[in-house]
Amino acid sequence: MHGDHIERAARSCLAEALDLGIAPAELQLDLDMVNEYGLSSLNKVLFMTAVCDATGVPVSCFTEHDLARMRTLGDVVTALSRNEVVSR
Amino acid sequence: MTYSIVNRIVSGPPSPGHRIRFARLDATESIELTELYAMAGRVAQGLRELGIGPGDRIGILAPNCLEWVLLDLAALRLQAVTAGFEFGKYAAGELPARYGLRLLFTDRAGDTPQILDIGTIRALAAGSAEPDLPAVRYAAEDVTTLKFTSGSTGQPKALAASVGSIDSSLRAVQEMFQHTDGDDLFVFLPLSLLQQRYWIYSALCFGHDVTVSTYEAAFVALRATRPTVVMGVPGFFETARKHIASRSGAPAEAARALFGDRIRYLWTGSAPASADVLRFFTGVGLPIFEGYGLNETCIVTKNHPGAHREGSVGTVLPGKQVLLDEHGVISVRSDHPVNRRYEYAAPGESERVFGPDGVVRTGDLGYFDEDGFLYIRGRADDVIVLDNARKIVVRPIEERMKTSPAIEECVVLCADRTHLVAVVSPATEPADEAAISTALRHTNAVFGGDEQLRKVVIARPRFSIQNNTLTSQYKPQRNRILDLYRSEIEDHRKGIHAR
Repeated sequence: MHGDHIERAARSCLAEALDLGIAPAELQLDLDMVNEYGLSSLNKVLFMTAVCDATGVPVSCFTEHDLARMRTLGDVVTALSRNEVVSR
Repeated sequence: MTYSIVNRIVSGPPSPGHRIRFARLDATESIELTELYAMAGRVAQGLRELGIGPGDRIGILAPNCLEWVLLDLAALRLQAVTAGFEFGKYAAGELPARYGLRLLFTDRAGDTPQILDIGTIRALAAGSAEPDLPAVRYAAEDVTTLKFTSGSTGQPKALAASVGSIDSSLRAVQEMFQHTDGDDLFVFLPLSLLQQRYWIYSALCFGHDVTVSTYEAAFVALRATRPTVVMGVPGFFETARKHIASRSGAPAEAARALFGDRIRYLWTGSAPASADVLRFFTGVGLPIFEGYGLNETCIVTKNHPGAHREGSVGTVLPGKQVLLDEHGVISVRSDHPVNRRYEYAAPGESERVFGPDGVVRTGDLGYFDEDGFLYIRGRADDVIVLDNARKIVVRPIEERMKTSPAIEECVVLCADRTHLVAVVSPATEPADEAAISTALRHTNAVFGGDEQLRKVVIARPRFSIQNNTLTSQYKPQRNRILDLYRSEIEDHRKGIHAR
């Protein structure tokens, strides 16, 4: 249930950050956000901030290394889900 | 009588009451500047015991952090020379031999005794022992650090920065912007760029706060730390503008949500900022001041609260002189030059840029208005000479194309010396070809016959730092873009054609 909520929020926030006209549901969980979707490094932080705000997971749960390791939308959903459990 | 900021910050502790903060995604650390000075002294003592002395080179390859700043300040206390390498762009192992480093501090494992874990600096800084350091006094021509800049051989060349150039730039900035108690300057660009360390020197000398963030944490740290000044390149402010514009509600509110509610002004430079971006921030109540300078010249001109004109890069700083030749190519003479030559450069590179009298040939084109504001028209390298001998300055054409919301970046090229072709990086994917076609028509309507664009080629994927079509400061890499899209530029069946 919580995983669904996080995935919905992550899809919505990424679609907004990309501004490519791709519907949230059409985003691929396994595509590289930088190389495939063209997300810039600064926009990646704005996206993470937005999705953390939307899900209630503090952005301070993550380090710069964690952020670098999140290459796909699926990586983001997994990391947020793990930290949502921890921070509850 | 001029004073030396560098000598001031090495000669004794700063006045109390101001802090430096280090922001990461997961934590923020705050230190009183007097304590920072004491910690840097202990690090200097530790480095001295490792055999570091005047003139020795210390490399630093790490993201922005407390240890970076301590090493830089400790090196100043010893008259050692720092070499800051942009994190993520260099392999540590090759640096000591290539650049003559006694030690290299990095957060990446090294397999030689010269490469040390930057984390060890915390241990050196700890404790309360008073360091026993010799008194230091810099002359204006002494150098404190190596800047690195791209070279024609592919290996970065180095430029040793003089104390006089640092002092004169910081004095001029202080005169223009009056940073003082209550200010908090926000730094997130890599500390390997000397100018980012200026703001730490400024805090130590003039008494204000400073916040150093990692690049990744910048937008998170801004709203948490509420700085009064943000130092950024145009690409950063463009990203911020798009984000603010996408928010619901009043843009001024969204801007305050992103930057905090204490901004006095925004600083930009290093690359041309678009008029739209500058107007946007001014419009939402965040004044933004553009300037002009190169690694080789330091800051040459700057808009500031006392003298600001839209479209210009400001008036000339004290101690600098801008010379224009008959073609409008800019050269810069400095009372205190950064240096007069490169190190580790290909034969002829120094002579091409530095005149025998120390004047720097910038290769940029500019002109002054009647009140002394400088305007940059483009790079002399970006002037296309057509086969009819007509010289075309492409930047105004590119700027006109970029006024279209469908176009993020535009480079005008000419492969056949006859026809101009624009390669555009679209604002969206898939590209809005109808809007780009309209931009092409509108642009051609305002330029003369030889300046007409024959067609537009759409870049796929969009320009980015990752695919090497933009520099790390978001400038398009023209030669690389020409190489990538040459076949589409030359193939008359491809692209969006002017009607």
